[in-house]
Amino acid sequence: MSRDPEQAERLRVDFCGLDFQTPIVLLSGCVGFGDEYTRVVGFSHAEVGAVCLKGTTAQPRLGNPPHRVYETPAGMLNAIGLQNPGVDHVVEEILPTLDFTETRFIANVSGSTIEEYVRVTERFDDSPIDAIEINISCPNVKAGGVAFGNDPDMSARVVEACRKVTRKPLITKLSPNQTDIAENARRCIEAGTDAFAAINTLMGMAIDIESRTPVLGNDQGGLSGPAIKPVALLKVHQVYQVARPHGIPIIGQGGVTTPEDAIEFLIAGATAVGVGTALFYDPLVCRTINDGILDYLDRHGLATVGQLTGTLVRNDEGTCCA
Amino acid sequence: MLAPHRNPIHAEFGEILCHHEHPGGQYLLRVMAPACAAVAEPGQFAHIRVTPERPMRRPLSLLRAAPGEGWVEFLYKVVGEGTALLAGRQPGDFLDLLGPIGRPFQPHPEHPRQLLVGGGVGIPPILFLAERIREREEGTPVVFMGSELPFPFLTTPSALPVPGLPEETDLALQWMEDLGIASRLASRVPRPGVHRGLVTELARDWLAAQHPDHLREVEIFACGPHPMLAAVAELAREFGVPCQVSLEEFMACGVGGCAGCAVPVNTPEGPAMKRVCVDGPVFEAREVFGP
Repeated sequence: MSRDPEQAERLRVDFCGLDFQTPIVLLSGCVGFGDEYTRVVGFSHAEVGAVCLKGTTAQPRLGNPPHRVYETPAGMLNAIGLQNPGVDHVVEEILPTLDFTETRFIANVSGSTIEEYVRVTERFDDSPIDAIEINISCPNVKAGGVAFGNDPDMSARVVEACRKVTRKPLITKLSPNQTDIAENARRCIEAGTDAFAAINTLMGMAIDIESRTPVLGNDQGGLSGPAIKPVALLKVHQVYQVARPHGIPIIGQGGVTTPEDAIEFLIAGATAVGVGTALFYDPLVCRTINDGILDYLDRHGLATVGQLTGTLVRNDEGTCCA
Repeated sequence: MLAPHRNPIHAEFGEILCHHEHPGGQYLLRVMAPACAAVAEPGQFAHIRVTPERPMRRPLSLLRAAPGEGWVEFLYKVVGEGTALLAGRQPGDFLDLLGPIGRPFQPHPEHPRQLLVGGGVGIPPILFLAERIREREEGTPVVFMGSELPFPFLTTPSALPVPGLPEETDLALQWMEDLGIASRLASRVPRPGVHRGLVTELARDWLAAQHPDHLREVEIFACGPHPMLAAVAELAREFGVPCQVSLEEFMACGVGGCAGCAVPVNTPEGPAMKRVCVDGPVFEAREVFGP
C-alpha cells in the first residue's frame, strides 16, 4: 500500500542537506541496527525519513544488568547501558547489510571520553552512513553521556572535536536534564553542529517497595513516552529560538505517539520528528502518523510538511513567531 | 547450538473467542490470529496490548495454536496491572497482538526421549511442545508439571506408567493422557495422586530410573521460575543430557529493537548479553547457567 507519489512528495523534508522522504526519524536505541522491525509484516522503511542506529562506542559494550526496562504511567524507564558490538563491527559487518536506497541511516556516537567520541566519529566518517548523531545525553552510563551533555563547555568540546574529523552532517542529541538547554545549543552551534535532536530521556527511577530495591539493574534510567512530551515540546521550542537564525534544523522527539503529537513538534520548530517508544506500542505507527500529517496539511491548506515548521503563534503576539 | 529463528512477526487485531477464569487468578484465553496461528511454534510468545489505553505490551507464551481454525491460546496468571486489565477483556472484544515471536524449543532427532518440565506460568509452552512432538512423531515425551495453584486442566488417573515414580503418584492431565503422553504433577499443596514436593524431584527420579542407553537419547525442555530452571540445568549437568530452558524478562519492544530484555549468557566467545525476545526465549541451559 504505497502512497500516491504527489502525496508522498508533500511529506519530504530537507534535513541539513539530507533528503528525508518523510519527517519521521526512528530513534536510536529503539530499532537496533535497522533490521529488527523489518520482520514485522507491514512495517516499511519507506514511511521513515531516517533511522538512527543503536548508540555505538569504540569497543564492544555489554550494557547494564536486568531489569533494563520498566513501564511507568504514560511511558517507560530504560537503562540499557549502550550495549553494542563496537564501531568496527558496526561498520564492517552491519552497515554493508543495510539498504541505503530505502531510507537514510544515521549513526549514534557515544563514548566515555572525548577521544572515544572522536575515534568512533572518524570510523563512521569513512563509511556509507548518511549522518552522525553525537549522543551527549545518554543517562545510563557511568562516564560520558549525560555527564558531558549537561555541561555546555563539555558539550561544545565534544562537538568541536568530532567536527574536526568528519564532513558528514553532525546532529547533536541534547539532554533535557540540564538547566539551560538553549545555552547548550548555542555553544554546540559555535562548535560546529549541523543539527539538533531534542530531547533524550529524562532521568528517573522506580522502586520495588517489597524488596526496597530499585527496579532497574542500573538503579536509575531514562524516562520516555507520552509522559515526557510536554517537557520535550518546551525544550524544542527553546532550542528553536537559538537554532533558527542559523538555519539549523531540529529533530523534535519525546513521547510522539500520534499525528497530533508530531504536528505539535513541527509547529514548535522541529523539521523532523523522532518516534521511539510509540513503536513499542504500535510497530506500524509511522504510517498512521504520516497519514495524519497529510490530513492536517489538507485541512490547513498547506502544500508541504516543511511549511509547518516553527509556525507557532505566540499568545502574547497574536502573530506567527516564525 | 540452537539455530537462530527469524520468522516474520504479524500484527493482528483478533477477536477474543473465549476467556475463562480458573482458580488462583488463572485465565485461559483464545484469540483469533490466523497469521500467527499458521506458523506458531512451542516456546514462542505473542506480545499483547492488553487494552487500548495501556499501550505497553505484555509477552504471553503460547499454550496452543490451531492453524486450521486460526486461533491461538494462552494460559496466564494475573500478576500485575497489565494482566489484571487483560483479565477484564470479554469474548467479542478485539485484542491487538504481535506474534509469533522468538526462538522456539527445538527437539533434536538424536534425542527422541524428551523430558518436559513446566513450573507455574511456565507450563503452557511445555504442553504445546508435548502436543507438537506427538503430532510430528518426533519422540516419546514425558511431562512433569509443578504448581502451587490448582491445575486449570482436567486431570485423570493415568494408565501410562512412568519409570522411577511410585504408583500412587498417578494423576495426569487428561489432554496429555488422550495424546498418549505420560504426565505427572507436583505441588507442595497435598493432593491425591500428585507428588508432594518439587517438580524437579519428579524429573530426578525419572532420570535416575533410565537405562544408560536410554539416557543418551534424553533431552530436557523446561520453562518456569528461575530457581526451577537452575535446578533443572543442574540435573541436566549431573545426568549428562542436553537441556533447553525458556526465560522470562521485562520487555519493551518485543521484536529485538530495544535490547530491554537482554540477560547475561555464556558464549564460546565469552560473556554476552542476549535478548530474551528474539535471541530466546529458549536458550541452551549451559548458555544461561554455565557448562
